[in-house]
Amino acid sequence: MSGALLVRNPRDGEALEAAIKGRSLWDDARRRLLRNRAAMASLGLLAILVLAAAIGPYLTPYSYDQISKDDVWAPPLVHGHLLGADSLGRDLLCRLLVGLRVSLAIGVVASAVSLVIGVAWGATAGFIGGVLDEAMMRFVDVLYALPFMFFVILLMVVFGRNFILIFLAIGAVEWLTMARIVRGQTLSLKQMEFIEAARAAGLGDGAIIVRHIVPNLLGPVVVYLTLTIPGVILAESFLSFLGLGVQEPLTSLGVLISNGAISMDQAPWLLVFPSLTMIVALMAFNFIGDGLRDAIDPKDR
Amino acid sequence: MLRFLLRRLLVALPTLFLVVTLAFFMMRAAPGGPFETNRKLPPEVEQNLKAKYGLDRPLGVQYLGYLANVARGDLGPSLKYPDRSVLDIIRQGFPTSLRLGVSALTLGGVLGLCFGVFGALRQNSPADYAITTLAVLGVCIPTFVTGPLLVLVFASWLGWLPTGGLDDVRGYVLPVVVLALPQVAIISRLTRAGMVEAMASNHVRTARARGLPERSVVLNHALRGAVLPLVSYLGPAAAGLITGSLVVERLFTLPGLGKAFVVSALQRDYTVVMGVVILYASLVIGLNLLAEVIQSLLDPRVKLS
Amino acid sequence: MRPLLAAFAALGLSALILAGCKPERPLRASCPAHSLCLEAGNVSEPVSLDPPKTTGTWEDRIMGDTTIGLTQSSAAGRPVPGMATSWDVSPDGLVWTFHLRKALWSDGVPVTANDFVFSLRRLMDPRTASEYAYLLYFIRNAEAVNEGKAPLSALGVAALDDHTLQLTLTHPVPYLPEIGKHQTFYPTPQHVVERWGDAWSRPEHYVSNGPFKLARWAFGDHITVVKNPLFYDARSVCLDQIDYYPTSDAIAAERRVRRGELDTNADIQSNRIAFLRQPDQIPAYVHTHTYLGVAYLAFNSRDVAAFRDRRVRLALDMAIDRDFITRKLLRGGQVPAYTFTPPAVANYQPPPPPVWAGWPIERRQAAARALLAQAGYGPGHPLKIEIKHRNSPDPTLFMPAVQADWKAIGVTATLAQEEVQIAYQDYRLRNFQVGDAAWIADFNDAMSFLGLQQSQTGAQNYGDYDNPTYDALLAKADNEPDLGKRAAYLAKAEAIMLADAPVAPVYFYITKNLVNPNVTGFVDNAVDQHRARYLCFKGHGAAAPSGE
Repeated sequence: MSGALLVRNPRDGEALEAAIKGRSLWDDARRRLLRNRAAMASLGLLAILVLAAAIGPYLTPYSYDQISKDDVWAPPLVHGHLLGADSLGRDLLCRLLVGLRVSLAIGVVASAVSLVIGVAWGATAGFIGGVLDEAMMRFVDVLYALPFMFFVILLMVVFGRNFILIFLAIGAVEWLTMARIVRGQTLSLKQMEFIEAARAAGLGDGAIIVRHIVPNLLGPVVVYLTLTIPGVILAESFLSFLGLGVQEPLTSLGVLISNGAISMDQAPWLLVFPSLTMIVALMAFNFIGDGLRDAIDPKDR
Repeated sequence: MLRFLLRRLLVALPTLFLVVTLAFFMMRAAPGGPFETNRKLPPEVEQNLKAKYGLDRPLGVQYLGYLANVARGDLGPSLKYPDRSVLDIIRQGFPTSLRLGVSALTLGGVLGLCFGVFGALRQNSPADYAITTLAVLGVCIPTFVTGPLLVLVFASWLGWLPTGGLDDVRGYVLPVVVLALPQVAIISRLTRAGMVEAMASNHVRTARARGLPERSVVLNHALRGAVLPLVSYLGPAAAGLITGSLVVERLFTLPGLGKAFVVSALQRDYTVVMGVVILYASLVIGLNLLAEVIQSLLDPRVKLS
Repeated sequence: MRPLLAAFAALGLSALILAGCKPERPLRASCPAHSLCLEAGNVSEPVSLDPPKTTGTWEDRIMGDTTIGLTQSSAAGRPVPGMATSWDVSPDGLVWTFHLRKALWSDGVPVTANDFVFSLRRLMDPRTASEYAYLLYFIRNAEAVNEGKAPLSALGVAALDDHTLQLTLTHPVPYLPEIGKHQTFYPTPQHVVERWGDAWSRPEHYVSNGPFKLARWAFGDHITVVKNPLFYDARSVCLDQIDYYPTSDAIAAERRVRRGELDTNADIQSNRIAFLRQPDQIPAYVHTHTYLGVAYLAFNSRDVAAFRDRRVRLALDMAIDRDFITRKLLRGGQVPAYTFTPPAVANYQPPPPPVWAGWPIERRQAAARALLAQAGYGPGHPLKIEIKHRNSPDPTLFMPAVQADWKAIGVTATLAQEEVQIAYQDYRLRNFQVGDAAWIADFNDAMSFLGLQQSQTGAQNYGDYDNPTYDALLAKADNEPDLGKRAAYLAKAEAIMLADAPVAPVYFYITKNLVNPNVTGFVDNAVDQHRARYLCFKGHGAAAPSGE
């Protein structure tokens, strides 16, 4: 078998302890998370952002695709445009909220796609091992060796550009790393005593994967997921830069930023507000992820 | 070790074959063709063009012919640049992309490692938070924003560096920095996480208990454990750099392969796209292999089989 | 911690070193001592410098500096004698005799009429597969030769002696001097092409007859040409060297021009022109001029039932607020288009714009709604269509405005973006409802525009306009050697076509050049040709004669 990382996990004792204690591990985690001020602040911030993205566009005086012919390039606070207007005289605040909504949706959905595929794939390969592991990971290698952009550009040109496809294309690329991480963790987990114990108790492979492997993968998976959501949002903005992102008049943070970057000396507000929004959102995800990691992973106590 | 390498190389070939096949048929399934423009091309002329490049034969025949040529090391002529072969184009563009990528990875690696170790050793200190914040910022700001911003500051205002082109070494500075920034962020994050874990691990605790000096504990025991996940990041990092170079080469008007690749894909220059894919795929496969070898050298517990 | 500190120190040090080498002058490409080098942004990478294999203006910008055709561009873009010093035309306009000057190729071999015969035959040779060959189909038997149905020798071109070239045409082409400077007409050196085959256009073999000769081609980076001492008028050439850069990102190129790294760039992002013209920006660098191009919308009347009704097309045509698009969105000086042929076209006066062009937008909207209602569309039965458009910067900017204009008259339009090439392919296959297209003339003549709506044009007649009267008028114009009468036929045809609105012209293009004010001899013109032989730098003697 190639590439098998036979790593003895230094946390054997703790994991076993946790397995014995059952759910109390999660109670501890919750308590630790609640004590993490950066994470809780980020959580609050993110909640506000999600709320704004969800209902905000209905509350602004303009709609996101409404062209005000007298307000082309209007700076902030002119004619009721709180954040100014863009090169077509469309209200930036409303477009920003819609863009945030689209980006968050892409981030969450694509990450969820990557999570589901990645965990299922990685856990199965790692746990069953042998020829199946070899074949499954070789497949991942093949996809890995395809430059990401090429893959997405091709998907876009073959199937035409549409919203759902962006989710799927990015998610379908991001699951690879997830699968590798999960497989590595599974390999080490399955050496552990409590898995042996479960097996001795007569549990089948499927049940062991679902009941013992997957829950114990949560730590690294969550940490990687917090890297994935911002990563996906960035990937979408990258596609937008190449002109392959969501279509006008719909928008996303990436589209707004790449348009803003073009006119940054002419209308800085078009770059500043979307960039700030994106940075705040992504940082919030990161701090929450860190907080979760610290909370779930008992070593950091 | 030798047996392992040999086996891996044997596996790499079918991998490459699959990549080529997938790319070939996806490219051909894409709408449009290399000779589509807004000019009226008389059908006869189009026929002449297609015949010249063998595009009038059945797809399967073209595919087999292409495979046979690739096996002989012939990547064919470019469809859009009639005076050039794909190898010409790669030979001219790749060195620039390679220099950019290697420099950015080195810079990103050194800085990221330093920041990561520093952060882990001073956990929850203001410096740690500053580094974490910077790292997050580094990932959060897209290259196409940092690029123009850095150009604005260092080229337009301060006048230290050129805004584009590669006429001397200074031309590389901004593109490399822009390309390295996300890598610094990711690597410092990975290092910090790895270090924190390693510092808490049994064998570091044991080393400490044995009374070894802190410096030796950090460098010999903790860092070695922390670098492992980094090494496996080598492959994805290369892929990330390839992607980043698409943006950077455009922002700084650099004659790299990344730009040639996007343009060719959009223009349906099938042979160039395939050539670049083969090159990049081999590169990523090679780097992943390299990562495994380094891992086994760093950590005796990792066995190559 | 020492390695860490060392690393930081090294970084700090390198930053200092970088800061230390603060240059006094812009970071320009190296230029030989006592030479004048022009750094020119050329937008795209040439696919080739072998004339029959090229179609782009970015290739012509280089080849036009290295090669002189039968005629050539003056500084102002008008055709002036080139290799041909004079020409005679037979009374029926079908036989043209060109008298060539004594000139040399850059390797010292004389340029002869045979080189032109050879080049034109090579252009039409099916094996060359030239994409632009159709442009010279007016030469006798050209089409048959190009399709492989006649031998190369059947082509209506002959060398009467070393310095006399005769062209025989299928119909009068009064604009032949105009097209004589086109890249398809560039001579290629027979002795070199026969020796090296297709590889002749590589820098090591390239031979040309113009003011500059190819020195270096760093693919994707730059192309260098240097002064050709054997050029027949070499004494008048001021520049010693030109480097052309493929500056595909207009914003990045703009920065390089501002910094003095480039002297010129042949493109500006449209909606930055007004900004750059502000006094605190770089107003003296911005050059625009009306151009021989039109942006228009095509209605697919073959497949969309609603578009078979002239009233619907006309309503949509009327409702487009072209003033808003050109003045508020594009802002570069683009001209609202109410005719298909730009006013700048040579030897032609477009018909007067339709009467509604002068109405205020509200009145036009009301009239458009009325037309739609007559056609059976209204609030109860709204017209729903999809607009397909290219994803290049300008269409992306103005198509949402068109969408909004149509919404105002009760038409629901959705937008779909596509890559430029895919969009055009879809238009040709009629895989669209409303399509955003643009046309830039191959040569400075109204026929280059009006020919698009001829019924026999086929795929490229995106609106499938088929009007026998229109076709007949164009055919009449084709056989009319008198320029004035010809123009009258064409204008009559255009007026008929505009009233039928198979397409909706939106605005006329402008040329967009950034030029450092230190560059002299740059004359804005409608064909956007600025040959380097007329360019110079301030303080380095007079620029070359204008060539007129």
